[in-house]
Amino acid sequence: MSRSAAEILALAGKAARGAGAPPAQAARFGEVAAVHLMAGRSAAALRAALDALPEGPVLDYPLAIDAGLVQADAGQAAVLTGLERTDLLQSYIEALPCVAALEETEAGVLCLRAEPHRPRAARPSRRITLAEEVVEEMTRLAALTFVPESEQSRSSGAGAGLTDND
Amino acid sequence: MKDGFDIPQGALRTPDTVMRLARMGAMFPTRLSFLRTLMRALAAEDVKVVRRQWQISAQGFGHAVYALRFGGHDYALVAVSSDLPDAQRTDRVIATAWDTAYVLYDGIPDAAEIARICAAAPKQEAARFTERDLVLSRANKSVRLFAHVVERLRAGRQPDADLVRRTGYLMRTTAVYGNGKFGIADRSVIETRPGLGGPFMAEMLTVWLIRLFTHDLVEFLGGAPLERGIKRHLGIGNSTGLGMAPFLVTHPVLLNNWMTARETALARVRAQPPLLPAQAQRLCDLAARAARHLDEWEVPDAAHQARIAALRTDWRATCARITPEALQEPQALDRLLVWSEGQSLDVQELLVSLLLEPFGDLVDGLAECMCDPFGALVTPYADTQVLKTAIEESCAWALVPDYACAAGSRQFWYVSAAKQEPRLGDRYAEAGAELESPLDIGRRIKALHAALPAQSQPLTAFLAEQPDHALAAWRVAVAERYAYADIRDNLIGETCLPIDMLRCKLAFFGASKFDPKSDRWTRITLCQGAPLADELASRGDDWWLPVFEG
Repeated sequence: MSRSAAEILALAGKAARGAGAPPAQAARFGEVAAVHLMAGRSAAALRAALDALPEGPVLDYPLAIDAGLVQADAGQAAVLTGLERTDLLQSYIEALPCVAALEETEAGVLCLRAEPHRPRAARPSRRITLAEEVVEEMTRLAALTFVPESEQSRSSGAGAGLTDND
Repeated sequence: MKDGFDIPQGALRTPDTVMRLARMGAMFPTRLSFLRTLMRALAAEDVKVVRRQWQISAQGFGHAVYALRFGGHDYALVAVSSDLPDAQRTDRVIATAWDTAYVLYDGIPDAAEIARICAAAPKQEAARFTERDLVLSRANKSVRLFAHVVERLRAGRQPDADLVRRTGYLMRTTAVYGNGKFGIADRSVIETRPGLGGPFMAEMLTVWLIRLFTHDLVEFLGGAPLERGIKRHLGIGNSTGLGMAPFLVTHPVLLNNWMTARETALARVRAQPPLLPAQAQRLCDLAARAARHLDEWEVPDAAHQARIAALRTDWRATCARITPEALQEPQALDRLLVWSEGQSLDVQELLVSLLLEPFGDLVDGLAECMCDPFGALVTPYADTQVLKTAIEESCAWALVPDYACAAGSRQFWYVSAAKQEPRLGDRYAEAGAELESPLDIGRRIKALHAALPAQSQPLTAFLAEQPDHALAAWRVAVAERYAYADIRDNLIGETCLPIDMLRCKLAFFGASKFDPKSDRWTRITLCQGAPLADELASRGDDWWLPVFEG
């Protein structure tokens, strides 16, 4: 079954939240997951990131990248300290709204080259095919953020309290 | 038309003035509303809508296909009409069956694609869709008016004008899904296409085509045509609830761009030199039309009807100031706006909407600035002191409420397990607050401000220790760059009325005749007075606050 990027973005973001990520990091992971899968990269990295919560790359990558953006904005070399080059890190970079790329120096140091105020090129949309077991796991995690509706809520939602045959 | 950057303009109203719930809850549609923008684009191309298929039974059930070419692309609406027992007809999002279902299709569907859509569309959320399906929607009949119109047409008569005027639509939608929902195409598929690139353009096109289908269906069943004035007044109803409200919070750049466009338009208009006689007369005519529109706006809710009644009275007093002579004086529009600041929010916002209407040459280009193609282009703060200063300068509104008291945090937003829809609960009476959705932006910013260390440190070091504050830190950066990005009110306070958020968004869609059923959901009318398919060239852009012409 093919899925839209928006579906993956929403599902992965909720899954990260359900797995214990704070809201900003969870939302960012959702965007990254869509970029990652549209690029044809392995879902295994996403599962591993979710498994690692409430620690791991979902929290660490944004911190390192944001520190790099601060350095880039100041015109300094943006060294991504303590990170190894991974497919998921590449997806985090590609998900940024600005022009950005990963570079590795001859000495093996990972750097972020970015122009924080210059928007990146539009990203073409691609359909995503994701193994059902991954979808099921993300769905299970996402469900941890849902709340059973109360009767009070049901009685005040859209359409409530009226005959609809009017 | 590209927006011009050399158009004189006055000062913009400040975000502290504009981005308040009560004012947002008083907004009216403007010529920047998405339906208006769409109609202008359709009219500019003189788009022709062709009914390619009409496989509808004598009872009104079956399917129809409408096609049009717009912006160099073909699109089609596949409409499916089903036999729905009265007992299953509900506006609630939990419904599982509807009178009609629709897909806006990318291209011209062949027989196999039509068969697929006819099987899937009536199931709505329970089905899966493809990247060729751009928008998914459904609508239920307004049973009383629909049956009446059919009966009258069959009897060789036109429907009762008063009933048409009071109801205003033959069907009402309960959802119009875009951007990838249930497998339909991502917005990125169409975001660079002429005509459909603006916000919600595909959804608005769908609604307009649904309206055409409802007209055709009732004329088919009645065996006679509707008079044009009646037909034009029959828009599409809509029931909208809490599901729409969080969008404004979770899309801060988009909200900023919508509001900035509107406020920039107003700033340009108020900088206009003395109006020419024809311009002044046009404004007077529009003000009078608005008064008639208010007279026709009737709702069952007593409190809201009283508000409308007060607005009618206040608007008549306002109209007394909108005379051709007064409008030709220097700075007349600016002085009118300054005067209105002493009037109700309803008067103020209706006046804003009126003043934009005659100035398409100043305003319409701004519609191209209402997208968010990039996301928030913000750089994280380097250290906590810079962040603290930014909070105090750009987000002072967030520091004011007392979120610790019960009144300041009475409500919490959550996502329902049953339908995965946004809901609002009472923190002190209902379970689930620990799973609260992060729409409490003000509270989060205040908590971040309180948590920042006395000695500055790199922000990333602070967030490594306190990652829960990352959302607030990002929102502050967004707020500093995008001034109209935040609703500057406490969205979890007991006085927060979600209906205000709904009205703001719906006004941007182009909705009118707001008919609140509670503080959490409303009925509205879309496309009322909009040009019919064969009127795009002649009436494409003159239907602001329409009045009944039947």
